[in-house]
Amino acid sequence: MSAFVNALDQEPWRFIISLLAIIFLTLNVAAVLTFAERKVAGYIQLRYGPNRVGPRGVLQPMADVLKLFTKENLSPGRADVWVFLAAPIAMFIPAAVIWMVVPFAPKAVVTNLNIGLLFVVSTTSIGALGVVMAGYGSRSNFSLLGALRGAAQMISYEVPLILSLLGVIILTGSLSLVNVVNNQAGGFWHWYIWSQLPMFATFYIAGIAEVKRIPFDLPEGESEIVGGFMIEYSGMTWALIQASEFASMGLMSAITTTLFLGGWQPPFDFLDFGNFNWIWFGLKTAIIMFTFQWIRWSVPRLRMDQLMDFGWKFLVPLSLVWLFVTAAGTLIIH
Amino acid sequence: MIFVFIVLSAITLISSFGVVISRNVVHSALFMSGAFLGVAGFFAMLHSPALAALQVLIYVGAVTVVILFGIMFTQRPQVRRFRTILNRQVGAGFTVALFVGALLIYVFLQQDWGSTSAGHGPRTVASLGRILVGVSSGTDIFALLFEVASILLLVAVVAAIVISRRKTGEGVERRAEE
Repeated sequence: MSAFVNALDQEPWRFIISLLAIIFLTLNVAAVLTFAERKVAGYIQLRYGPNRVGPRGVLQPMADVLKLFTKENLSPGRADVWVFLAAPIAMFIPAAVIWMVVPFAPKAVVTNLNIGLLFVVSTTSIGALGVVMAGYGSRSNFSLLGALRGAAQMISYEVPLILSLLGVIILTGSLSLVNVVNNQAGGFWHWYIWSQLPMFATFYIAGIAEVKRIPFDLPEGESEIVGGFMIEYSGMTWALIQASEFASMGLMSAITTTLFLGGWQPPFDFLDFGNFNWIWFGLKTAIIMFTFQWIRWSVPRLRMDQLMDFGWKFLVPLSLVWLFVTAAGTLIIH
Repeated sequence: MIFVFIVLSAITLISSFGVVISRNVVHSALFMSGAFLGVAGFFAMLHSPALAALQVLIYVGAVTVVILFGIMFTQRPQVRRFRTILNRQVGAGFTVALFVGALLIYVFLQQDWGSTSAGHGPRTVASLGRILVGVSSGTDIFALLFEVASILLLVAVVAAIVISRRKTGEGVERRAEE
């Protein structure tokens, strides 16, 4: 038995198995988050949310998946079929692949890339391409409007998103997410959120904008452009777009946790569970996810000019100022 | 390794042909992102993951999206005139491409590469950055070029703002008085 386990730990098998686990996780995160979203919305609005399938509605995601699998996959007659069908894939693959560099527990990471953070931001930026492809491929005015808004928003908010990472990179001296987590060991007061509070706020807000959630959901905006770039999708293609949105929301929470909240590090040293430290990672990520949903059901949508003003005139200067502060502080201390 | 090389070459070449052959500007731009991804794969294959990630970040994530953005804002997706332009220039373009390709192959084969060989460049971002700004064992000229490039970008950004700035009522009046 142990020989078998050791054989599975060797390179090609370890990578393949962990990658399959990651894809399984991504799809399930998407399904569970859809349910959580509706449930949280229900409780925030003083109603029950879905409560028919299974006890308290916990089997609702399964029913949703079955329904979406059996729905017909329509595409508009005028659509640019290849671009139309490739767009959901171009959105989903980045959201699934980035989980490869996220450390879940002390040794549980698919690949410890020494450019981990660079990999995260570069792969996230492909998602914008998927949005533009969906908007163009549908050949509908609402889709095109949504795609234009989406491209403008995602490019603008990538700037503060990347700038806010630089503080953590300066403090760690490494781009590897494993090193970032290891450097935050020894109690919650060692987490980067305290010294990097403005960067944390910037990353959090830019992250919400990057995953296109309320108050930054202008590319979708149901009440203005009835779903934006995803208006023409149905069945599994629509499900894939939704899955990639929820997976990238989960991903943004996981990256926030890893960078600023110590990843799998326990809040106190005596709570160290060894290999079971993924419990802390999951707990922190779930809390961040919940705050995303909380914000979604509490805040109205921004206007386009407010969105751009906020990104360029507030978040970018704030992160630049704190970048200087961090750099100067590091120079003085060392 | 040779298999990976063949796959990456196929991706890059087919996408590049797609860029010049397809009759739709948006398709050309999308094919271009495929070519960029292929080149990023080459960087990764040559043990330079930092360059690969930067290639994806800048060319696929930013340049292609901005190009698509520009296309969608400025013209309708189907432009008829494009087809005739393509047909008229395809022979000349092919000749020029062949000539440039032959020249590049000749230069690469003749060049004395000294002690460097493929796949032995700087692997970590830190050493790449040191070489780029000439801190240790790097050429100083790179740091100067780096600064010049950043000033160029700054000038371009300021110029874009000046050109596209909406003139307020006050400003227009003052200009009229002058």
